[in-house]
Amino acid sequence: MLKILLNTVLRSLYRQKAYSLMNILGLATGVTCTLLILIWVEYETGFDKFHEDIDQVYSVYENQNYADGDVFSVYSTPAPLAESIKRTFPEIKYSTRMVTTWGQLILSADGKSFVEDGGKIVDADFFQIFTFPIVEGEKENPFKEENSIVLTEKLAQKLFGELDPIGRKIEINSKFDYVVSAVIQNPPANSSITFDFILPFQFFGKLWSYDLNDWEANTFHTFIKVEEGVDSDDLAAQLQTYIKDRIKNSNVDLDLQAFVKYHLYAINTNKVGSIWYVRVFLLVAVLILLIACFNYMNLATARSERRAKEVAIRKVVGAQRKGLIGLFLGESIFFTLISLGIAVVLVELLLPVFSDLTDRDLSLGINNIKFLFSVSGIVLLTGIVSGSYPALFLSSFLPIHVIKGISRKDSALLRKVLVVIQFSMSISLFICSGIIYQQLKFLRESDVGYNKSDLIYIEMADDFNSIYPKLKNELTKIQGVYWVTAANQMPVNFTNSTWDVDWPGKIKDSEDILFQLSFVDYDFIETFEMDVIQGRGFSKLHGGDSLKFIINESAAEKMNMVHIIGEPLQIWDYSGEVIGIVKDFNFNSLQVGVEPLIMMRNPAAFKYIAIRIGEDVEPILNKIRTVWDSTVPDIPFTYRFLEEDFKYFYTAESRMSKIFISFTIIAFIISYLGLFGLVSFVTERKSREMALRKVFGANMDTVFQLLLKEFFKWVMLSNFIAWVLSFFVMEWWLKGFAYRIDIGIGIFILSGFVSLLITFLTVYQQIWKLALKTPVRVLKYE
Amino acid sequence: MINTKNLIKVFRTDEVETTALNNVNLEINKGEFVAIMGPSGCGKSTLLNIIGLLDNPSEGELHFNGYQVENYTERQRTNLRKENIGFVFQSFNLIDELTVFENVELPLLYMKVSGAERKRRVNEALERMNIAHRAKHFPQQLSGGQQQRVAIARAVISNPKLILADEPTGNLDSANGEEVMNLLTQLNEEGTTIIMVTHSPSDADRSHRIIQLFDGHIVTENMRQKL
Repeated sequence: MLKILLNTVLRSLYRQKAYSLMNILGLATGVTCTLLILIWVEYETGFDKFHEDIDQVYSVYENQNYADGDVFSVYSTPAPLAESIKRTFPEIKYSTRMVTTWGQLILSADGKSFVEDGGKIVDADFFQIFTFPIVEGEKENPFKEENSIVLTEKLAQKLFGELDPIGRKIEINSKFDYVVSAVIQNPPANSSITFDFILPFQFFGKLWSYDLNDWEANTFHTFIKVEEGVDSDDLAAQLQTYIKDRIKNSNVDLDLQAFVKYHLYAINTNKVGSIWYVRVFLLVAVLILLIACFNYMNLATARSERRAKEVAIRKVVGAQRKGLIGLFLGESIFFTLISLGIAVVLVELLLPVFSDLTDRDLSLGINNIKFLFSVSGIVLLTGIVSGSYPALFLSSFLPIHVIKGISRKDSALLRKVLVVIQFSMSISLFICSGIIYQQLKFLRESDVGYNKSDLIYIEMADDFNSIYPKLKNELTKIQGVYWVTAANQMPVNFTNSTWDVDWPGKIKDSEDILFQLSFVDYDFIETFEMDVIQGRGFSKLHGGDSLKFIINESAAEKMNMVHIIGEPLQIWDYSGEVIGIVKDFNFNSLQVGVEPLIMMRNPAAFKYIAIRIGEDVEPILNKIRTVWDSTVPDIPFTYRFLEEDFKYFYTAESRMSKIFISFTIIAFIISYLGLFGLVSFVTERKSREMALRKVFGANMDTVFQLLLKEFFKWVMLSNFIAWVLSFFVMEWWLKGFAYRIDIGIGIFILSGFVSLLITFLTVYQQIWKLALKTPVRVLKYE
Repeated sequence: MINTKNLIKVFRTDEVETTALNNVNLEINKGEFVAIMGPSGCGKSTLLNIIGLLDNPSEGELHFNGYQVENYTERQRTNLRKENIGFVFQSFNLIDELTVFENVELPLLYMKVSGAERKRRVNEALERMNIAHRAKHFPQQLSGGQQQRVAIARAVISNPKLILADEPTGNLDSANGEEVMNLLTQLNEEGTTIIMVTHSPSDADRSHRIIQLFDGHIVTENMRQKL
């Protein structure tokens, strides 16, 4: 029976090539998209899962509560926390601090120097909490000696080539001597924690003067691993007031986040984590697969005239309805299987492109049981869903009706509903991707409050103040270099903040507000071409300007003072006066609004040199390089364009929008196939009517108009549904942005136009085909 | 074998009511060869379809082998049909996607006959219809006469007690028609009851009895001399 079934399907597939091709292509495209999305979702949700006992690993994070009701959550915690909670709570088995080596370090080995920025500074428990296998050297405790450094295989190869790295000396910043104690596997691509080398925590104290017993400063990630079976909610509840118990008036609560969630979930409730993308794309996958299924249903039932005879004969010679339903379901599952075969090939072909698009190293999980299981599930489900309606519809034919040529109850209404749903979905996707594209374009191109082009910056490794004055002096002499300034952070990587700020009229404690804090040099405002609204910027002409503050508009607004210039301000122990207000500029992605900011001049904190250059970039850069090499011969010249980094704010979004747009196009193509199916069905049904009209002298125009009117009605209905749907979805999405576009009418008109054009062309093509047939052929066939 | 009592069939559309059969009383015995004749639209095919359990009467009774069957469910009808009745249609009604062999085999599949047995019986039937050399061909590759022979092979494969033929020669030229009628006659001689709707007086001549229908009534029943 199965053999005959297979034979029948294969032969009908061959006999009706165009139909089969459309059907298989529709399904294959749908399955391909779904597979690609699933591979990506599998990758994203699989982040960090290579760690053993990952369910016992948690990040400890801070919830900072502010007077205005805002809760600001950060992973930064005080230095003493990790050790202290481990001692207090027996259920915490291991704890470690972790901090990225701030800025670049110069690693010298075998007489060669390399600038490296991929270091982590951790406690020894780090190796007990996380599973980063050590391949060579000290496996139990790589930090047995205080001057140990652990290298990844990649960095070991870079520094020492084929030599055995264990026991070899590395000099850091020409000051500190370290010995390689172990070589560790390169962290896998799906690891949230990445590094090239790891240093013991003591290094932090050597490099920076920092009070490691201070409970008020928060700088370090704290990770813990708890004993098996520990209730994390319980532990989190006990941890909540841990800092408040140590510092009076602290606004900080502690909380735990399972490390499995680190990659996908944001701890700040007002930000969306990548899980949002995972959910959106899963939804897109389901939509595309549904569109493909509806497509199949449409095409399969559109062909019902041809299948009717077969059904009738089978029934006459003894087939039961149940058996026929099985037959048609088997057929659709078989079609889905063929589509799966094609889809697997397509996925293999498309994966490199898709990997590029998602910036992930994706592969088809052939040996991943869970993945294969879900793929088989999808195929079965797709087959059953797409075959369900055709099976019920076709198997209901009564032989007598077929034999007598009575047309059965029409299923056209349901088919139209399917096409309407299909089109509503794809038009919605079309509109959404259009609006997402516009919003991201707006973010990229909108005014950020300073001039981000033709601006380069250099990160200094060490000894900033011994080099900077001389360097600045030399750099400003170069023709094409307009301004040179320094700062502790660039507007693309602001991280410093404090709530320890006092101003006249502040209501103590109840007006604790988080201020961003930036240390900048003279000419900062000029270099970045920011606008001063009141007062002035820092300038050598006014002496040291050392206890002077410049604030932004948002800060002025928060402080609620009318005449702020000249007013006193206190930050920590620094007391000084406000000398200027600068127009708000963005130092976050535009997704987040501008936060209040205070700038002061503190050369001890400087880490970056920013240079405003002319448009003729290459020759100017060469001149800067020459100056650099003669002033700082030991440090290689590395620089970045601020604008490039700015784009990085939106890479995730623009990447996602590209994927979204690609899938939208695909959804549209499949929907088109569905429409094509419906139109061909209706024209086939109407061919007799049209032949008769022709016999009696009507021309094809009237017929064409008639059909077109009918289809336009349905497509316009789809448009209307899609408009309403996508408007609300996009309004909701845009609410997440501090700066956003208003949804314009253009994209809606465009979607209507495109869908109507597609309908017009499809109907036109079908009518044309029919017009070429002589009425005799049609009528005789009937 | 077949017995109808006051069989009425009315077709209704929204506005029109057409009576296709009006009080048809009929008895057909085992082994008979009956021809039903009459002008177009007189109800011949409707009667045949009701007897073949493809259609329901509006009123009246239908007895098949002593059982009253007009109220049978779809499942019961199908079972009764596949075990007892073979059909031959004017337009052959072969499945285009199946070969000659597979078309003939189809009823046996639904009767759950084993593979070897199926093969034997299909080959036998094809030999008998003189079409075995075409077993692997598809219907479109055959002439009309050949297609009708395949259809007859399919009708007899399950050894039915009754064959219903609806204008079996209507789409054939005279030579092929003659051949088909020879086959039907031969089947009847071997004991199969045959009811045939036809327009052709010469085809009807092969039967034992001719029933004339007019506007849904039986007008005459002529017993043929041959009996």
